[in-house]
Amino acid sequence: MTYGILSFGAYVPHLRLARSAILDAVGWAVPGVRGLAAGERAVANWDEDSITLAVEAARDCLAGVDGPVGQVSLASTTLPFADRSNSGVVADALDLDHEVLTEDLAGSRRAATSALARAARGHGHDTTLLVAADTRETRPGSSQEMLYGHGAAALLIGEGKPVAEFLAAASVHEDMVDQYRATDTDFDYALEERWVREEGYLKIVPDVVEQAAAGAGIQVGDIDHVVLHGSTGVARALAKPLGIDPKRFADPLTANCGDTGVPHPLLMLASVLDNAGPDQYVLVIGFGQGADAIILRTTPALALVRAGRGAGRALAQRRPLANYTQFLSLRNQISIDFGLRSERDNRTALSAYYRKRRDITAMRGGRCRECNTLQFPRALVCVKCGAAESQTPESLAALTGRVKSFTEDWLAYTPSPPYIYGNVEFPDGANVMLEFTDFGAGQIKVGDPVRLVFRVKDYDTKRHFRRYFWKPAPLPVDGD
Amino acid sequence: MATGIKDKVAIIGMGCTQFGERWDCGPEELIVEAFTEALGDAGIERSAIEMAWLGLFFQEQSAGKSALPLSMALRLPNIPVTRVENMCATGTEALRGAVYAVAAGACDVALALGVEKLKDTGYAGLPERTKGSFDDLWLPNATAPGAFAQLASAYQARHKCDPKDLKRAMAHISVKSHANGALNPKAHLRRTITEDQAINAPMIAAPLGLYDCCGVSDGAACAIVTSVEKAREMGYKDFVTVKAMQLAPSNGLEMSNNAWDGSYLLTTRIAAERAYKEAGIKDPRKELDMTEVHDCFSVTELVVMEDLGLCEPGGAIKAVLDGEFDRDGAVPCQIDGGLKCFGHPIGASGLRMAYEMYLQLLGRAGERQLASPSLGLTHNLGGHPFRNVASVSVLGLHS
Repeated sequence: MTYGILSFGAYVPHLRLARSAILDAVGWAVPGVRGLAAGERAVANWDEDSITLAVEAARDCLAGVDGPVGQVSLASTTLPFADRSNSGVVADALDLDHEVLTEDLAGSRRAATSALARAARGHGHDTTLLVAADTRETRPGSSQEMLYGHGAAALLIGEGKPVAEFLAAASVHEDMVDQYRATDTDFDYALEERWVREEGYLKIVPDVVEQAAAGAGIQVGDIDHVVLHGSTGVARALAKPLGIDPKRFADPLTANCGDTGVPHPLLMLASVLDNAGPDQYVLVIGFGQGADAIILRTTPALALVRAGRGAGRALAQRRPLANYTQFLSLRNQISIDFGLRSERDNRTALSAYYRKRRDITAMRGGRCRECNTLQFPRALVCVKCGAAESQTPESLAALTGRVKSFTEDWLAYTPSPPYIYGNVEFPDGANVMLEFTDFGAGQIKVGDPVRLVFRVKDYDTKRHFRRYFWKPAPLPVDGD
Repeated sequence: MATGIKDKVAIIGMGCTQFGERWDCGPEELIVEAFTEALGDAGIERSAIEMAWLGLFFQEQSAGKSALPLSMALRLPNIPVTRVENMCATGTEALRGAVYAVAAGACDVALALGVEKLKDTGYAGLPERTKGSFDDLWLPNATAPGAFAQLASAYQARHKCDPKDLKRAMAHISVKSHANGALNPKAHLRRTITEDQAINAPMIAAPLGLYDCCGVSDGAACAIVTSVEKAREMGYKDFVTVKAMQLAPSNGLEMSNNAWDGSYLLTTRIAAERAYKEAGIKDPRKELDMTEVHDCFSVTELVVMEDLGLCEPGGAIKAVLDGEFDRDGAVPCQIDGGLKCFGHPIGASGLRMAYEMYLQLLGRAGERQLASPSLGLTHNLGGHPFRNVASVSVLGLHS
């Protein structure tokens, strides 16, 4: 048994906004963003937030993994709840045991890399799911609107057959305020990029990398892959002082995703692991008010774990979002008049939720021990054979469903019309009426297979609450 | 051994308001309007009424809960009044309460009144509402058109029919109901439409367009009932009796299990079978002279024709297009315009259907009178295809 990264996963929301569409909309005011207007950025749908993104990345990471998860560490600066265990919601959605230790890591773009550095330095007894997700909102016309994207990544860390082993880690803290976001504000405030590069990256990063390399007992020049988030200019500038071939710097996913924030180093790492061979050195750098450097060495087990998952697969799932106004509305930055129906009160009876929390958050139905019929919701009496108290809880979340009937409803309120919902059949008799997501008008027919994804069901704008449930979504297409 | 309700109870008076957007009326005015007509029709003193049932669905925004809206609007002399609610079957449920009371001998004369004031929401369609503290956690916030549109989607998949044929049959249903409604002075929608208009109307919930949806209306309807013996005693000669009243609610099977394929209305089939048995009907296609079914949406009426046994399974499109349910067809359906055009004030609808049967059976339906009908069926479907309550009643002339 060796300690290291046992598995990895990634999730990038499917909506992609062409940066040219941003330029078309805001270029009249800020022609300077023209230089950034190439490629596309990932955009979370209206029903996605950092919790739901984290759940998808974690599902990708945990698919096919045996053995219990002992800890869930959720890293993000855009967690939907300031006081409610966000990682607890993620753990429930993954249907993990309630004895799992959950922690929310926040307050820094390094929240994930610092946790990774901590894991590299020593470890506890538990297998840890380190998952990072961010949905940073951006002011219209800002550079961040062009540069940022939404996304998530996850690593499973513990004893087993790792795909990568930890060799060393180093961290420093320097209160260089290159950018910040106050707790009660929506947007990042960023300082001049050249100052950040010259005083920040070029002066802070090399020392940390040297320390980590020394700890690993290797030369910096031996490193095969460098994961460094930030502009490509930063990578170019750092290659020389670090003595690493610029070609060894990993793709920052600028062209097809954008900088996702806290998860970005993990997302880039997942992308590297997608393509790396065994026995390669990988350097992961986290930057922001200091820096983290973690050095890993890949193992032959990598070839076994990466089929059908990872960043390549995540990035291959895309739906073009052509309309900039729709982008602003989906991210709740403009208020479209959706009519009186949108005034509906979405209060949650939290005591009812507490009674049914696992049924809802893990989509646990029941399987009848008498007749083997699966059903949702779980009930005291079997819907098929009438046996009483005969049902064993069982999650439907991983099942592939089949569309039995559906509609595209233009009357009901949804932030992304039409409101699509229908009856979905699952194996062993189950049928559930569900709201669909990530489908547009004309994209579903009866009989189509669907997978379930964990999403925001609705927002209670009066009480600043949101509730989550599972929705049928398109099956993934094959990635790279 | 129970013998059922057949020919035990007579309807001796009925009333129904003008349905529509009654901006100038609240529930109180609607209640009084329907009751006044029924009382005059029965020709009795209001003091003869001993018990009453009130049907009202959306209490939140119209009249409020309990017996009080009826008792207070009519200033009833503190007689027992029970409010019932069973979604769109509410009006029929009020009637069932009154019918059972006189059949049981608990009183001689009972009143059933259904009312709904829908047009105080400020928007089109039915009001938004919570589905309950648990269901709100997971069920889609489906609208009625969206829920019934799925009937079309599953029917089409089940019978592998051309969507264009289905849409055309749905359009035929709406064109027919508009034509019928045009002859009914109390109907909400009184303009005729063409098949092209129906097919090309704006989409509400695919594949249901505007003209596939029934009117959302204000209105009230009521019935005064007594036992057959008492009716004779009171001097009534020709009167309408209840032949059957059956109700079948879902138990969750359609919603939770794949035994149901979404293409038909399970509870309607069950309620119909029981009602035919109670009424002694062997062949509904031959014996029934007319039906008033729950045509909340055109596709509902289409599917219900099969579920009531009025055409073969999978044969509704052809039967509809052949005109079998038109006013001059084999079994006319919605001769008063139906929910589609008479309108659908939910709590009143079941009683409105009975009102049309009553008028037709007694030969008092004016311009839209059918040639000497003697037996008719009413059908309500409360809720959505995957979870509902279905009621089927049979009314006929007392022989």
